[in-house]
Amino acid sequence: MDRLFPLLGRAMAGATPFFCGVVAVALASVPVSLLGGQIPPPLLALMPVYFWCLVRPDLMPPAIAFIIGILQDLFSGGPPGVWAASFVAAYALVDRQRDSFAGLSGVGAILGFAVAMLVASATAYVIVAIYYAGFPPVGPLVMQISLSVLCYVPAAFLLGWLQHHVVGPLRSDF
Amino acid sequence: MPNGSWKIARGKGGAQLPLAIVAVLAVVLVLIGKAQSSLFDRARAEFSDWSAPLLETVSAPVGAVSRWVDGIGGLFSTYQDNLRLKQENARLRQWQGAAIRLEAELTRERALLHAVPDPAQTSVAARVIGHSVHPFIDTMILDAGKDDGIKTGEAVVDPRGLIGRVFITGHHTAWVILLTDLNSRIPVMIAPGNAQAILAGDNTPEPYLETVSETGKVHPGDPVVTSGEGGLLPPGLPVGVLVADGTRYRVALLADAASSGEVRIVGFKNPPEQLPQVTPADLPASPLPLQPQPQPPAQLPAQSQPAAVPGSKPSPSPAPSGPH
Repeated sequence: MDRLFPLLGRAMAGATPFFCGVVAVALASVPVSLLGGQIPPPLLALMPVYFWCLVRPDLMPPAIAFIIGILQDLFSGGPPGVWAASFVAAYALVDRQRDSFAGLSGVGAILGFAVAMLVASATAYVIVAIYYAGFPPVGPLVMQISLSVLCYVPAAFLLGWLQHHVVGPLRSDF
Repeated sequence: MPNGSWKIARGKGGAQLPLAIVAVLAVVLVLIGKAQSSLFDRARAEFSDWSAPLLETVSAPVGAVSRWVDGIGGLFSTYQDNLRLKQENARLRQWQGAAIRLEAELTRERALLHAVPDPAQTSVAARVIGHSVHPFIDTMILDAGKDDGIKTGEAVVDPRGLIGRVFITGHHTAWVILLTDLNSRIPVMIAPGNAQAILAGDNTPEPYLETVSETGKVHPGDPVVTSGEGGLLPPGLPVGVLVADGTRYRVALLADAASSGEVRIVGFKNPPEQLPQVTPADLPASPLPLQPQPQPPAQLPAQSQPAAVPGSKPSPSPAPSGPH
């Protein structure tokens, strides 16, 4: 029993980033509109991917980011693989430039997410343009990027709280 | 902010190889999705059937909060809303009288003309459990599917007008492509001149008219309804109102997909057209004889005749051309 609880705790802490991604994907599909449906909802699922890729990459491996992207594709109803590839592209950027991103704080941290969001959105745009052999309007994409960056401010506090109070104490092996 | 205050796991990612693998997987997924879209559609239908309870669970508290917030906002406009509704009610009563009179007139005219009745329509009410508004996609998930008699291609309407059409059906869920979606193409008719057009979505709130027939003039403010061309959607479903947008026309939709909590899926079956029976008199030539034709006897070259046209009656021997 003494060994079971730590194991369960570690499993729970390990699953928290993925679970946050799933909840974010489901939340984005809730039929509640922002400003009468004129503005696309924020890309919530990228927030846990970015956060844990930076803070605890061992809890957010590329495969988990890829699976969250596939879930986003399945829930969105769009062409398959668009968000999966976009999340992987954003992950690759953060993973390669971790030192640069890690040094950011305050507004810089928000800008870091904005860059990741920009890379994910640009990747999605290019894939969709190739997929449909045409250029979709850029306006909704710009609105989604702006809204996502704004929403990252409270989301980062929430994810930080989870990391500090749930994931950190249970997985303090690093 | 998290980046600065959290201990960053520098160099612990070690994700180069897995990253390359998932990047390749992502590209393969996009290619498979393009080549075999039906495969992914089936997976999506299964997935939405499976995840419907999760969506409903997540939707319930968020929807309750949203309704509560809307309710608070509505408290301040109750008096104005009441006045507006009273005026609207009085206007609708006038329209109701006109509609009843016109319906009676239409029934009488149809009886006089022995007009073919419109195809029967069935409808299923469903609740919206998911709504995906993304920069490239505008879809909805409903809590009714194949088991409720819903089929792919059927029209989805709210009390105001057409919202979209079903494009994937699971057993308990259905996916709707909205009129505003990038891939939506709907045949419509602009009412006064009956001009035919294709309504195309471009992920903006007002879809545009892609091609307009030159059979009738169109003007801003003209009502737009479904034409029923192609037998995909029932004709006459209200869609919106024409709006000028530079060199082309857009349609301000009547339906509001963002606030539609419940919708109706309209089943429509166009009866196969019954062609009139063909009589021998309608044919340009006589029918082929069923018995095999006897071989004509070998004739002398001097008495050779022109080859008979297949299917024609044997012509009588030509009269001698000259006196003997």
